[in-house]
Amino acid sequence: MVDPKKMSVEEILAACRGGSSSSSSPPESKPALAKDEPSAATGKPAASKPVESKPAAGKPAGAKPGGMNTADILAAARGGAAKSEPASASDGPAPAKSAPGAKSPPAAKPGAMSVADILAAARKGAGAAKETAAEEKPAAKKAPPAKPAAAKAAAQAEPEPVSGAKDTSSILAAARKGVKPGPISKEEAKQRATATIEKPEKSMPVRPAKPAYAIPSPPVAAQSDRRDFFAVVAGSFLAVGFSSFALTNVVWLLGLARFMFPNVLTEPPSKFKVGFSANFAPDTVSDNFKAQFGVWVVNTVYEGQRQIVALRTVCTHLGCTPNWLEAEQKFKCPCHGSGFYKDGVNFEGPAPRPLERYAIQLADDGQLEVDKSRIFYSEKGEWGDSASFVAV
Amino acid sequence: MHLTLEKLAPFLGSYYLVLAVMNAVFGYFLWEHKKNIRQAVFWTVVAGAFTIMASIAYSGQQKLMELVSLPEAFRGFVDGNLANPALYTIGTSAFLVTMFLFRKVLVQPVVAWGLLVLALLLMGLSMADVQFAEIVTKPDNVPIVAMVFLLGYFTWLATAQAVKNDERTARGEDPLEKLNNEKILVWPDLVYTELICMVAVTAVLTYWAVGLQAPLEDAASSVKTPNPSKAPWYFLGLQEMLVYFDPWMAGVVLPSTIVAGLMAIPYLDFNKAGNGYYTINQRKFAYLVFQFGFLELWVTLIILGTFLRGPNWNFFGPYEQWDAHKVVALNNVDLSQFFWLGLVGYMPKAPDGASEIAKFGWILWRELPGIIVVVSYLALLPPFLGLTIFRGFYKRMGLIRFMVMSNLLLMMMLLPIKMVLRWTINLKYLISIPEYLLNL
Repeated sequence: MVDPKKMSVEEILAACRGGSSSSSSPPESKPALAKDEPSAATGKPAASKPVESKPAAGKPAGAKPGGMNTADILAAARGGAAKSEPASASDGPAPAKSAPGAKSPPAAKPGAMSVADILAAARKGAGAAKETAAEEKPAAKKAPPAKPAAAKAAAQAEPEPVSGAKDTSSILAAARKGVKPGPISKEEAKQRATATIEKPEKSMPVRPAKPAYAIPSPPVAAQSDRRDFFAVVAGSFLAVGFSSFALTNVVWLLGLARFMFPNVLTEPPSKFKVGFSANFAPDTVSDNFKAQFGVWVVNTVYEGQRQIVALRTVCTHLGCTPNWLEAEQKFKCPCHGSGFYKDGVNFEGPAPRPLERYAIQLADDGQLEVDKSRIFYSEKGEWGDSASFVAV
Repeated sequence: MHLTLEKLAPFLGSYYLVLAVMNAVFGYFLWEHKKNIRQAVFWTVVAGAFTIMASIAYSGQQKLMELVSLPEAFRGFVDGNLANPALYTIGTSAFLVTMFLFRKVLVQPVVAWGLLVLALLLMGLSMADVQFAEIVTKPDNVPIVAMVFLLGYFTWLATAQAVKNDERTARGEDPLEKLNNEKILVWPDLVYTELICMVAVTAVLTYWAVGLQAPLEDAASSVKTPNPSKAPWYFLGLQEMLVYFDPWMAGVVLPSTIVAGLMAIPYLDFNKAGNGYYTINQRKFAYLVFQFGFLELWVTLIILGTFLRGPNWNFFGPYEQWDAHKVVALNNVDLSQFFWLGLVGYMPKAPDGASEIAKFGWILWRELPGIIVVVSYLALLPPFLGLTIFRGFYKRMGLIRFMVMSNLLLMMMLLPIKMVLRWTINLKYLISIPEYLLNL
């Protein structure tokens, strides 16, 4: 994150701290330093930084070695040099403390409490009026409209304006005063920084030499011997396994397909004889063929004509098998209560249409023959078809 | 019909004994923990009464048993005058509405306990009637009896919690579930509870499996249907629906709509209140619609199908002999017949030899009244509702969500509407096109 070529403000600060106080070790504070770098390195006023510095306000500087931020460092720097009390930082709004008449030094821009200011304050080291930087920062944050006042407070914090400290670079340079007054080159700064911040070198572990067994041996020239015979005949064990697996599956599938063609026919023949028409007395329903064939043979009057019909014993509502109730002279379904007249026409319950008729005819021998392969629907007007009844 | 009073006696005696113990424990609880001495004494007296009933029931003697059964006249009155589907549905609706309106009183633990004891007492007294006992103790029907009481318990639990929360909300407090909501007691509270439940459920299932014979029937035959032929208990609501609808409608369309509608609820619901806690007042519409659909249109239909539908799917009173030859006059008529035969005087019919398309046109002409009714019900009613009583809903839901919601609602209301039409004017189908298997 930190560009090693550039001398960042943080490094300078660290250097500053390292020189004046040894409260915290540089490597630990590095991540926090790096965090602040962008704004500080560009030299922008860091008035928006108080958010970060806020946690440090109430704490003694250097008490938190892990998460150091600029404020901590500053406080540490100040603490090492001036032994001022940071604990007083959070009391009272800063604007109340600011003296209205206090004139700001040239470095203090109104409304912009910059890092530079703080640095300047830190640099001063022996300065008597060490109001903490942390105190000024919450003030700057707490009362945005009162920013000028905060700036004034900052100004008050350094009653001795630094002569010649007009811009950031010179202030920073001044911060390095223990080393060399005036601007320094990057190289010098780097030297200074590396003296205090020991960056851990990223060292790659040495790759161990390949052991003998890992070194690929040169391919042995293919030999033709008796073992090849088995390889050709049976393939590898894997090939044998998968072949037999596939074969088993095929046999399975074939066996399954065989189930689709059972070798018994449970259905009775679709064409069967039910006896002579004289056996079916007028206005009777024959229940005799229900169990085996699923047919009622009915002698009834339909549309003014006496006929013998074969009714299918399936309810037209949901396919249950209705019962013929002799006492009530109706077919009644036990599932949802549909009712049908003797001629099969629905009259009660939810069944939407009459029972269905099978084809019926007089066979050559004079018996009635029912053909279940043909069905006649009343709602389609098929009951008029002469194949659907035998006139008596 | 093998059940006799002698066979019933040990069961009934134990039943009343359990009731006595339950009430004694409840009385002790009131005495010890609530310090409510007057009520404790009352429930102990009730327990004593049940003990006496238990000893009478154990005797199994006809004369004595009459003391612990409902009077013959009352049973006859119920069977003769009250037992029809219309009254049953009106009665259950009125019962549920009453429960809802007086929920603040009814959910109080002592009142709820009293209702439970009354329900159990009524069941015990009815069980002295052999017909009733035959149905209730049938292995098929035992889970339904259990379900009725379980459902009552859980409905009470939820309603009690909701009533408490509504009272708290009215006082400006947080619902009960919000207190302490950071804390979930898992070990050992939840884990021990689960363990105890596991043991209890295992014990009950084992006892059930050993104690009750499996409800096996004769070997299956495609030409012999048991009479009455009942669906599994959880589908009896569907079977009851099938009495009023075409199989396509009640067997496919409406069940799919129920499932789809239940899935759509979270997307249709715009009411943010009631998230994570029981409440009725903050979600009255959602609560009432759901409870109507569940309790009235599903559960009461299951009870109806189990206990009150007999041979040939006729309606029988709870104490009535299941007579396969009971004659109930039902002559159902389609709407088209009402219109054409009743008002116009003839039925439109395609002339002989007409083409298929012409026949189809004639069918549409014949069913025009029903088509107009159904289309206006499903297409014109939603906008009308959106402009009138559901105006606020329409504004908050937007067009599509409101249309989906109102159509689902109307589909749900089809069932009660169809039931009422069947009872009042014997209407069979609004649209009846058996030629194309389309009936509504």
